[in-house]
Amino acid sequence: MGKIHAYLGIDVGSISTKGVIIDKQNNILASEYIWTQGDPIGAVKKLVGLLEKQFDREQYKVVATGTTGSARKLVGTVVGATMVKNEITAHAVGTTTFYPEVRTILEIGGQDSKIILVENGVAVDYAMNTLCAAGTGAFLSSQAKRLGIEVEEIGDFALKSKHPTQIAARCTVFAESDLVHKIQMGHPREDIIAGVCNAVAANYMNNVGKGKKISSPVVFQGGVSKNKGVVAAFEKMLGCKVIVDTNGHLMGALGAAILARRSSKRQEFDFSMEDMEFYTREASCGRCPNNCEIICVYRDGQLIDSWGNRCDRGAVKI
Amino acid sequence: MIPGELKTNRKKIMFPRIANYNGVIRYFVEVCLEQEYIMPPKMTRHTLEVGARYSPDSVCTPFKSTLGSMIEALDIGADTLMMSHGLCRLGYYGELQEQILRDLGYEFDFINISEYSTGKKKDMLKVLKRINPKVKYTRFLTHAMDGVKLCEYIDEVTAEYYQNCGFDPSGRYQKAYNKFIMATEMVNSRAEIDQAYRKVKQTFQQTQLEKPLKPLRVGIVGEFFTVMDAFSNLDIEQTLADMGVEVHRWMNVTNRLLHYPGEKNMNAKINDLCTYEMGPTSTANIWAARDYARRGFDGIIHVKSAGCTPEIDIMPVLQAISAQEKIPVLYLTYDVQTGEAGLMTRLEAFYDMLAMRKDTI
Repeated sequence: MGKIHAYLGIDVGSISTKGVIIDKQNNILASEYIWTQGDPIGAVKKLVGLLEKQFDREQYKVVATGTTGSARKLVGTVVGATMVKNEITAHAVGTTTFYPEVRTILEIGGQDSKIILVENGVAVDYAMNTLCAAGTGAFLSSQAKRLGIEVEEIGDFALKSKHPTQIAARCTVFAESDLVHKIQMGHPREDIIAGVCNAVAANYMNNVGKGKKISSPVVFQGGVSKNKGVVAAFEKMLGCKVIVDTNGHLMGALGAAILARRSSKRQEFDFSMEDMEFYTREASCGRCPNNCEIICVYRDGQLIDSWGNRCDRGAVKI
Repeated sequence: MIPGELKTNRKKIMFPRIANYNGVIRYFVEVCLEQEYIMPPKMTRHTLEVGARYSPDSVCTPFKSTLGSMIEALDIGADTLMMSHGLCRLGYYGELQEQILRDLGYEFDFINISEYSTGKKKDMLKVLKRINPKVKYTRFLTHAMDGVKLCEYIDEVTAEYYQNCGFDPSGRYQKAYNKFIMATEMVNSRAEIDQAYRKVKQTFQQTQLEKPLKPLRVGIVGEFFTVMDAFSNLDIEQTLADMGVEVHRWMNVTNRLLHYPGEKNMNAKINDLCTYEMGPTSTANIWAARDYARRGFDGIIHVKSAGCTPEIDIMPVLQAISAQEKIPVLYLTYDVQTGEAGLMTRLEAFYDMLAMRKDTI
């Protein structure tokens, strides 16, 4: 025995899947960032394989696992997580651990955006976008595709612009038609890209940031924080420095790992899960007109968990 | 009922489902007015789907669910529909719903209470005449008092239930509450009402609760229909309670309609926050939210259906309360499309935040 304890955190979002292994002092032992591509189970298997290669299994062992992100429940079942937490808490915990002074956390991911206000190292208020996905990573990447550039290049293009184009920021659909119109009117590409970045920041402030008192220090994270154009737009709008951590995209996974460490539950993580066969099946309950959609998860052909029923009549016996 | 009169001659009346009050409406129709009440089926996704199919897209969700409820009741044999009056757009809903249902080809009698709410109490008596032309007001009144009592009991028991059910691992609380609600839909006399009430209160008192000294307390405010109806708000109260929260909700029929102190008196309590009357439940919600904050609650949740103008109007006031009293407020909007996953994420995060905040204070 005598191996040093390590903790795994997995954050499966709509667009990307993040994984990180930390030790007791929050040092990152292994980390990976891959695309989900609509297959959370496949992505996690791939992620675990990649993490295993970086990870020193002679010296360390993973004793607790935390999952977060929109697929946290499914992935938590698949990897046998000791801690399944929502992404808001995970991000708040991750950020306050690395930046105890932080007052405002801005987060823009692939499909959602949120703001977390912190006082004395504890989250005191938060908001998350509700009905609309405008101004998130998905919007940026679809517009990058339209303009024929890679999503990673947006930031550099945007910083080149001297006169950003005004783009309607209220709604993705309007923003897109406005953008097409501006392209056809002959606005230069970098101005349009800078305009898109401003639109994302403006939309964020009008949507989730509405009515929230934003105080410095501000930490910006999530996949979109890697975009220098949006960072610059935020700095201009807020009039203060916006901190972007080099591991900002991993913050959710880090938070999940820290939460797994803090809880008392321990279960050694089994790296061999990457070789197991997982699949899910959807069933309609049919016991009342509500027809709950019940998801059943199987491991190697055996049912391991199910959810989705709103009452006991739809409970699947394992 | 006149002896020998055929039961089939009676009207088969239905009123859309709203929270747990269908027992009260049934009591009024069957016991007080001696007509038959068609209990609309419990709302399911099917209700919402049919309702949404025939509704204008931008109306608020209660329009869609009540329309769905009406269609389901017509399908099981109701011949007289009723719709409530209201102080917001709700006041126009009955008229529109009747038109939609007639266009669909249904045949029925429609009693729209809005048409009778002229401000004169005398006009409301006409509704009773419409339901039962042979109504005797004196007889009606004695029974109606019992119906009102039933409503008060339901609200009292419901409030007590959600404040405590999260701390009862034995499940007796929930069982007793469900039995009580079922009983309220079958009672026929004051004696039966009192019996059901006593039974549930007894179980509540006998159940040992594992409640910490200072549990997390959350106050729920919001739009009249969505905040009360568990199906419409995806069972938010039970979900929170199951996390181990004491859930308080001032908004119910007893407090808002039966014992409401009046708009002017309510407004006097909050006139530093808003000058004018803002809508059917707005003043009460603002007062309730600040009351929760001043009583040291840990958080407030604001519940509304998409497109509810009066409730959108009070959000800036709630933000002011949140800043002044230093209390987190979670804003939830419900639509036909609302999924449970998004709600769970927000509620879990809200709970975590309140719990961590409480630990540090």
